[in-house]
Amino acid sequence: MLSITYNHFFILSVILFVIGCLGLFLNRRNMILILMCIEIILLAANINFVSASIFLNNLDGQIFSIFILTIAAAEAAIGLAILVVYFRNNGEIDITKINELKD
Amino acid sequence: MFVVGTFYFFAIFLIFSSLSVIFSKNPVNSVLFLVLTFLNSTFLFILIGAEFVGIILAIVYIGAVAILFLFVVMMLDIQLIDIVFSVKKYIPLAVLFALVIISEIIYLTVVKVVKGNILLEPSSINNTEAIGDVLYTKFFIDFQLSGIVLLLAMIGAIVLTHIYKPSIKRQNISHQNSVTASERVSLHNPKNGEGIDA
Repeated sequence: MLSITYNHFFILSVILFVIGCLGLFLNRRNMILILMCIEIILLAANINFVSASIFLNNLDGQIFSIFILTIAAAEAAIGLAILVVYFRNNGEIDITKINELKD
Repeated sequence: MFVVGTFYFFAIFLIFSSLSVIFSKNPVNSVLFLVLTFLNSTFLFILIGAEFVGIILAIVYIGAVAILFLFVVMMLDIQLIDIVFSVKKYIPLAVLFALVIISEIIYLTVVKVVKGNILLEPSSINNTEAIGDVLYTKFFIDFQLSGIVLLLAMIGAIVLTHIYKPSIKRQNISHQNSVTASERVSLHNPKNGEGIDA
């Protein structure tokens, strides 16, 4: 019988996680894209939590997914605020040039 | 059969849109593909019966986070950059990463299989109600703490992006209260037919 199992969702979330990490490693310039890749990684974690919660018939996974959502929203707000301040001071957000603390 | 077809449709769409987030040159396109990614995962959540988390995902991510990204992308002047692709530098890291991921997949799909199926019969209590029952009792402290985290994030974002301009006239109450009469009022006794030099 053809039906979706937990493995379908697990593989899907692993693929999403790998895509997010790929974006982190491949893109070395644009800082906004890095924040978006972090959102994709958190979405992969969310998919894993929610599907495990559904297939194990335990609600805790969905609760934790809501907490992950909260933290992701806070992280996006703070990260984008830092980005805006940095852009206002330096006029660019090229992360290869963010090494002023070194010297 | 219908459920499996729907799952594959949305899953493949999800993977393609998340790949487009990474590989599109224009950041505005990336943000719009990010919205599409979240929308597809919302459909997947609703498909397996987690309606509340799916709708919350749509509201929070599409309504708030993605729009925030869109505003910032439009506010900052970003030039279009190609992906800097340097394979050689990352080969050891990639091998390590692939080994970890593949061993996790094998462990969780072959050795330790999660057996379980979606409950097809409608239960008496719906998903939102069940979550509400647990969220405000068992996870009460965590719920309050996540509220504090959101408050801190809000204050932090406002404090970070707030611009102080000395040219703006505004009321400074402590300064108002700390002045003495001698700073503001001066008594003069002008002679007849003469004025005061200000």
